[in-house]
Formats: sequence, C-alpha cells, structure tokens
Amino acid sequence: MSTKPDVIRKCLWPACLVGLLITGVLSLDCNLLHFHLRKVTWQNLRLLSSMSNSFPVECLREIKAFELPQEILSHTQPVKRYIVEAFYEMSIQAFNIFSQYTFKSTWENDYLKQIQIGLDQQLQYAERCLEEEEKEEDDSKEMEEDGINHSEATVPQLSNLELRRYFNRIDNFLKEKKYSHCAWEIIRVEIRRCFYYYFQKFAPLLRKK
Amino acid sequence: MGLARPAAAPDDAPPPGRDAPGAARRRGGTTLKSPQNVEVYIVDDTFILRWNRSNPSIRNVTFSAYYQTLGNDTWLKLPGCQSVANTTCDFSSLKLNVYDKVKLRIRAEEGNNTSPWHNIDSFTLFEKAQIGPPKVHLEAEDKTIIINISLPGARDSVMWALDSSSFTYSLDIWKNSSSGERRTETVYSRDKIYNLSPETTYCLKVKARLLPRKNGIYSPVYCIKTPVANKLPPPENIRLDSKNNIFVLRWDYPYGSVKWGHARPNVTFQAQWLYAYLKKIPGDSSGKWKQIPGCKNVHTTQCVFLQNTFRKGIYLIRVQASDGNTTSVWSKEEKFDAQLQITLLPPVITMKSTNDVSLRVYISAPEESENKPVNQNFPLIYEIVFWENTSNAERKIREKKTDFTFSKLKPLTEYCVKARALIEDDKWNKSSGFSDTVCEKTKPGNTSRTWLIAGICAAIFSIPVVIYVVKLLLRCISYVFFPSSKPPSTIDEYFSEPPLWNLLLLTSEEQTERCFIIENTNTISAVEETNQTDEDHKKYSSQTSQDSGNYSNEDESGGSKFSEELLQQESE
Repeated sequence: MSTKPDVIRKCLWPACLVGLLITGVLSLDCNLLHFHLRKVTWQNLRLLSSMSNSFPVECLREIKAFELPQEILSHTQPVKRYIVEAFYEMSIQAFNIFSQYTFKSTWENDYLKQIQIGLDQQLQYAERCLEEEEKEEDDSKEMEEDGINHSEATVPQLSNLELRRYFNRIDNFLKEKKYSHCAWEIIRVEIRRCFYYYFQKFAPLLRKK
Repeated sequence: MGLARPAAAPDDAPPPGRDAPGAARRRGGTTLKSPQNVEVYIVDDTFILRWNRSNPSIRNVTFSAYYQTLGNDTWLKLPGCQSVANTTCDFSSLKLNVYDKVKLRIRAEEGNNTSPWHNIDSFTLFEKAQIGPPKVHLEAEDKTIIINISLPGARDSVMWALDSSSFTYSLDIWKNSSSGERRTETVYSRDKIYNLSPETTYCLKVKARLLPRKNGIYSPVYCIKTPVANKLPPPENIRLDSKNNIFVLRWDYPYGSVKWGHARPNVTFQAQWLYAYLKKIPGDSSGKWKQIPGCKNVHTTQCVFLQNTFRKGIYLIRVQASDGNTTSVWSKEEKFDAQLQITLLPPVITMKSTNDVSLRVYISAPEESENKPVNQNFPLIYEIVFWENTSNAERKIREKKTDFTFSKLKPLTEYCVKARALIEDDKWNKSSGFSDTVCEKTKPGNTSRTWLIAGICAAIFSIPVVIYVVKLLLRCISYVFFPSSKPPSTIDEYFSEPPLWNLLLLTSEEQTERCFIIENTNTISAVEETNQTDEDHKKYSSQTSQDSGNYSNEDESGGSKFSEELLQQESE
C-alpha cells in the first residue's frame, strides 16, 4: 500500500513525457495548438522535474526487450497525417495503460491525475487535428478524382498495427508481472524510450512542408 | 491458384482421408473443387469463416480449415472448423494474438476425396475485426435522454483489450414521428442528449469508432419517449469568460420572473465540475463531480471563481437550478479547456509621425503580471482601427506585424489609432479589448524623406566632383593673374647658354678678384716685412683676421688682408 503511490509516481512521468513529446509533434499540424501544447509541455516538464527517479537496481534482471518498432511508416516519404495518427495511437495507448488502474482508489493520486489530464488534452487536440485533416482529405479527394493518383493514399494503417503489437507486449508484460513495482519501472523507461525515439524521428519530417 | 504442398513438417496434423494432396482428384467420376469466396468475418471476439460450395450437387461434402502462424511451418487444425457440413464455421475459440499474422486454408472433403486447398493471404485478426453493435441502455429524464453504452465485445474482450478508453461513439437520433431531421452527435459511453422536446418519442442508433479509421456497426434502433417536462427547467447556455485572474461562469435562466442577472428570489443555482478525461474511462463517473467554490446556492445567473481553481486540463461544467423543494435536472455539460480560456490583454500602441506625411504605428504586448496569461505565446493578429480625428471614416486593417506605416496621409492632420489583439484561429474566436486611442499629427509634407535621402546621397557623390572643379578653377586663376616667374621657354633657350650665365656670375667675382689683385700687389712686400716683426703682433693679427671673414677665400689674399691691417695698426 505504501509503495503504490511511489510506484505510480514513477510510472507517471513517462506518460507525461509521452504527452510532452507528442504535443510537440502534433502541434505542428495544428498551428494554434502548438502554442497551447508548448505551454502544457512546460508545465509538465516542471511537474516531471519534481519526480525524477533513477531506475531501481533490483528490477534490472526483469528487464525485457519490447522490440520497439523501428519503421512504423512503410513509405519513404511519410505523410504528416500518418505521423499524427501514429502519435495519436501512442498517446491513446499510454492513456489506456495509465487509466486502467484508476479504479483502485489507492492509485488515485495527484500525479496520476496530472498525467491523465495531460494525455487527455493531447488526445483531444490530436483528434481535432485528425478531424481537420480528414476534412481536408475529403476536399482534396474531390479534386483528385480527375484521375491524378495519390500515391500516399495507399499507405496502409500498418503503422498503428505495429504500434499496437508493441503496446500489446507492454500490456501483456504488466499483466504477467501483476503490475508489480518493477514491471512499472520497466514500462516507464520503455515508454519514455518509445516516445523519445519517434519524436526524434518524426519531428523533422513534420516540420517540412 | 497455387496447389498446397504436403505439410512440411512430418508431425503435421494430417487432414482426414489422407491422400496425396494435389490437383482435383477424380473419384467415381466426380471432381471435388475447393470452396469459393472464402471470407474471414470478425466482429469483436467472434471469428467466423464462411465460403460458398463449389459442387452443390455432391452430397456429404464437408469442409476443413487449417491455420498457420507466421514463422511456424506447421498447419494446425482450425478449432470449430473441422469437417463442417455448413458453409460457415466459428473459430472464436482460437487463442491467438490478435495482432499476429495468420494464414488460413480450407478444402472440401468427401470421404477420401479432397479438393485442392483454398488459401487465404495472411492477415491479422485485428485488421479484419469490425466493431460490433454496442448495447445501449436508455433513460429519459425531463428533456434529456441518458444513454449508457456498454463496451463492444465481451467483458474480457481480447480484441479490444487495448482499447478500453479509446472508443468514441457516434449517435444518430431522430423524432419517431418525422423521418427527416436527424441529428448526429459524438458521445461518451455514458452521456446525455440534450435539448429534446418533452413527451416525444425519439429513436436512436449508435456505432462505436476507433480513431483514426475503424468504424463500427450500428446498433439496432432504440426508441424512448421523453416524459412531461419538469416544472423547474435546467439552466441553459452555459459559458465561461475569463477576466484577469477570475473566471465568470454565466448561464441563462429565462423562466419565472427573472430580471436581468437575477432569478426569482427563491431559485438558487449550483455549479459543478469534472475532469473531462474521466468520461473517457468506461464506468460511472457521476460520483466524481465536484462543487465549484463560490458557485453554490447563488441567486444570480452567474458566479465568479479564481482562475487557479482550474489549472491546465479539460473540464466539464454543469449547473442546476433549485427552488427549495425541487431541483432541476443538470444542465448540458459544457466542456472547457483551461488552457484556451486565456485572457487576451489589449495591446499597447505608440504612433510616430514621420517626415513623409506618414504615421508609423508600433504595437507592443502589454506588460504581463504574474498570473496573467501571456499574449505572445499565441500567434496573434492585430485589428487596427485608424481614422482622421475630425471625420468618422474609419480604416480597419488586420495585421500580423507589430510595426507598420500608414502612408499617403494629409499633411498636418491629426489621425487616431486603436488596436486589439485577436487569436488567429476563428474557431477560438478570442479577442482582447481595444487599446487606448493614440492620436498624432502628421508633419508638413514638403520635406519628403526620400528627397532628403536622395539629396544627401547626391551631396556625398558630388563632393569629389566639386573639389576637382574648384581645383581646376584655382589653377586657371593663378595662371591668369599670377603667372609663374619662370620665363617662357623661348627665352629659356637663350639663357641656357652657359657663357652668359657664367658672365653674370663671374662679374662680381671678377670685381672682387680685381680688387684683390690690386691689393695683392701692395701687400706682398708688406707681409714679408711684418713676418719678421715679433710674435705679439702675429697673435693680434690672427684675432682680427676672424672679423674680416674674407681670408679663407685665398691664402694669399687673407695674408694680404691682415698684413694690410697690420700696416694700418703700425701706422697708428
């Protein structure tokens, strides 16, 4: 009981980070959100700095390779939309992972709330971005119906599938380990890694017009 | 179609009626063909394989399907799909990772006779899965319908295990009486539909969605009749404004004897809030609403609370009316994003008249105090209203720049300007109040700035030219009025003859020489005489010789001179 809040605290911060990183990327698509998200990011970063923790040594032997998918976009020139979708997927999966355990009252602490709030915000913004792009896509489809083939339109939703496999591994791991302290620690590091990786990879692509 | 090879692994589960698999086989004159239009149909956690018979005439044909997972060469029996007489089978009991790739094959069998395999390209169960029709529970309350949608799939759904919070629901609702007028709303699993008519039957259907592009199957149509409206209606049109450090929550309550801002005395209101993310998580969040401080039992149609009550995040707010005995239902839940509830402060403008009958306007952000949201974090545009002080004709422009010029104005006229900040996105529709009006008189227009610059440039460039011209002029003047002492060249030629020059120079020399000669003749004898006198005289004579200064010319003459002096002294 006494360890749980501590665990949560440690687990939360990756989600925060996740959120932060996502926002940075997503915001590029929806201009104004960019500014709000920057602000959230800053707030969250400050929140995180109060939670920094090192990885506990006793959990080292439980570490598992989750095989972060390296290439989640099959196309050489990924369309922004698919990047946003991928980040939406990551952020909703992170939200799911962190909100599964809110039912236990002991897990209800301020940090968990903060993460969920942050992720919720990102999801809402991302949804908005996706909806906007959907509209644009519909408009452009009408224009393209003259026979100009849109090569990117054929990119499958493979990205999400790869990501889902990855998060499924994480989810299964947590279940296997019965949401133990170490399991959370490992997941925390893993999710942070995941988002850092994709942020680095996609942010420059999104900046290109 | 590729023919299925015999199972690669020896321990492969052999199909019934073990024959060498291969092309269609003839047994007793009949050809067994593989099934057609084979299709995997997955809804939630129900996995169905269906196909068409190719030989409807042959009786006793059964079908068997096998599966293979990626990286595994063995074909395994597909549970529920062995020796099926129907054209469909249910393999829901297959325990597989829904994100793993799987291959299926199926063939027709009749006794020992088998058809070739029909192969299905590899797929994942998740890819093929459709979101099933959600189960919906409805309740009517006043002019609202309360909906309660249960998650798609079984309780411990394998298919949607990762999606417990990811579903959104799209709802179509219409009045039963009129088939037109449909309304589509996006709702949470527990939500309300507002603004309905009382005592009216409404019908609705719901489908679940998984963003970005998985759309579910519509539920069956549910219908419900709304009851008689309550006597005490809920507040309407809830909105939140932010001012400096406070939020002002307002609502309309147009029932009863409500004066502006005040409901009838016995009606009070209370407002509550909830984190919006809680609605995403399935389950009942109705117990998690919290009172907004300062918004309990208020008699007005507004209440005020500090902005720091709601920090970052997305919130839901609802308001309820009460008259002591009864309470209204809760109002529509209004979503608001604390991040977007920013207060835009009016910008600060300064205006300067420039030389070319223009006015330059500078817009700067207001100075922010500690808790106030920061204007410059947003891509603001400025709406600038500009007018001549004496007339009412206004010019309105929108600018992103904070520094720009109104040009081509009337000289010596007073113009005024005010501006306000707007947020770029029309969806957020935020604007600040107008800044203070700033007025400024234009300068007289004769000294145009460009002319000035051109003049300066011209001046700079002309300086060397002027200097050169002046120099030339001076030379001319000095040539005319102060000719050089040098004689003309023709004259020069004559002077160049050396005898003439010598003549001029030598004349004086000759004169002295002449004198010298004359003196010389007199003194020689005298010197010889004095040399023989005593030494004192010699000394004296050498002293005086310095004064004469001419002795060095010639030893003889010098000697002669001082001997001459000596002579004079002796004669004294």
